[in-house]
Amino acid sequence: MTGLRVALHSSSRIRLDAAFDCAPGELVALVGPSGSGKTSILRAIAGLWRLPGLSGHIRVQGQDWFDSMQDINLSPQARRAGLVFQHYALFPHMSAMANVALAADKHWTAQDIAALLDRMGLMGLGERKPAQLSGGQQQRVALARALVRVMSGASAQADVGGVLLLDEPFSAVDAPTRLALYRELAALRQQVAAPMVLVTHDLAEARRLADRVVILDAGESLQTGVPSHVFASPRNARVAQLVGIQNHFQGWFHRNELGWGRLTWKARSGAEVSFKVIDKNRIEDGIAVTWVLNGEFVEVKSETVATISSGTHENVLHCRILEILSLGETSLCTMTPEGLAGERITLQLPGQMVRTGHWQAGSPVQLSIAPQALHIMPVK
Amino acid sequence: MMDWQAVQVSATLAFLTAGLLLPVGVGLARWLATTQWAGRPVVEALLLLPLLLPPTVIGFYFLLLFGQGSSLGAWLAQHDVRLVFSMQGLLLASWLVNLPFMVQPIQRAFSAVPNALREAAWVSGLGPWQTFWRIELPLAWPGLVAGVALTMAHTLGEFGVVLMVGGNIPSETRTLSVAIYDRVQAFDLQAAHVMALALVLVSVLALTLVLAFDRQSQRNRMEMGA
Repeated sequence: MTGLRVALHSSSRIRLDAAFDCAPGELVALVGPSGSGKTSILRAIAGLWRLPGLSGHIRVQGQDWFDSMQDINLSPQARRAGLVFQHYALFPHMSAMANVALAADKHWTAQDIAALLDRMGLMGLGERKPAQLSGGQQQRVALARALVRVMSGASAQADVGGVLLLDEPFSAVDAPTRLALYRELAALRQQVAAPMVLVTHDLAEARRLADRVVILDAGESLQTGVPSHVFASPRNARVAQLVGIQNHFQGWFHRNELGWGRLTWKARSGAEVSFKVIDKNRIEDGIAVTWVLNGEFVEVKSETVATISSGTHENVLHCRILEILSLGETSLCTMTPEGLAGERITLQLPGQMVRTGHWQAGSPVQLSIAPQALHIMPVK
Repeated sequence: MMDWQAVQVSATLAFLTAGLLLPVGVGLARWLATTQWAGRPVVEALLLLPLLLPPTVIGFYFLLLFGQGSSLGAWLAQHDVRLVFSMQGLLLASWLVNLPFMVQPIQRAFSAVPNALREAAWVSGLGPWQTFWRIELPLAWPGLVAGVALTMAHTLGEFGVVLMVGGNIPSETRTLSVAIYDRVQAFDLQAAHVMALALVLVSVLALTLVLAFDRQSQRNRMEMGA
């Protein structure tokens, strides 16, 4: 078994119930609010977090780092975890070069390390102390230090026996630097075939960098999958909330003919609207559901234009615009469905579309909602 | 004028006290800076006690404990160890009295080393000893200098404990501060003047050193992000 496999469970004062794996070269992001346990899991992989009563296992490239059944719990020194700390934790009394060399094993020569620093945009800065480097440069030194720990020697055939762990590594740098570092991390992934685990609370960052995301809440891994899937199809209402989906509503689900169902949106006023939805055979007939509207599959037109007939399965919803906020290229458009006063749909629309339609507060519009825009989950 | 024997006694006492206290002080300070043990405040209080107690009280108990009258003193005397009115006894008393002066600045320096740096060293493969020698000690060294300087300056200035424990034996236990007292008693004010001024100068020098290194360690602390 290659890669990283993690399964941790604790029912003590600190609750933990998380499992995921990460293939060599894959980047998995642990995402969740503060207190969700994401950093604790990362520290457990590095051997820095030792909770009494913790059960489960941590396996890296077939080697047991932690296994409660076999009573194995390696020291941080015996694990090859390259950890990039949130505030880098560079040794302030050592040069950049010495910081990196300290973590390198005997297969690394001084030239190899110097070459690595050059490749990472630190050419000529090896002799500087951390305080003489910018935030982005310090971050690169921290990344280099973690890398040499993960790889045994600099050669292309070097044994990659470790994991790269990144604890909110981009939170302390300014936006342009962050973009540059994103690019470098992407480039790095081409060269290093280590499992990589990123902890972040930034959903956009996870979406941008990760092959898969693990959504964590109160120590529990709620959903794991490729970002686009998790963000479009959250497993339950809590995941939808955690991944920041704005348009989530309550309703009822009824099964129709094979493969199709009907979603009834009941407003607080008692009025209701029905939509045709895809039945994935996961939701029972006639139960209350939470559902989300994915704006990517919604078309917006002026009410004056003839009724849309783009597809037979489209649902048409008549709305009135409440507010338009211009955000440069895009506009954030809040609207209320006719007859469902009190409900709000928020969509991000191209600014051009808003301008050509001369839309403003009070304008009537019609929404053409494809069935795949409606994602239904059990209420939980 | 200057009692050179007393200068020699004082200097010997200062160097030996600081030298013998430094390793213990570093160990204690490092332990106090990082331990999670619930009894830590008690240890810290005991260490600070010499700062509050009058030197005469410390000297009095020292005499009671190690004097010929006590069983411990008698036992030590059988083995040819005399801790009362001797250099060895003075050294032991001075060692005890100076514990807070050595431990305090070093403990502060170790506390200022962020835990993330220790963890970074561990995940980089450094064991606890290597982490201590290569990371913690180099970052805490201004605290060590401050501790040594404070201890030496305080030893030179110590009077009460010295008089109680050591008495006033020339070239054995008569330190500079006792010699000054002795000269004043004998109305030899000029000699007292010379020696007093010398002590003032040494103390100012030591304090300047301590403050300079304190500033250095503050700079270190900022670079460590603590």
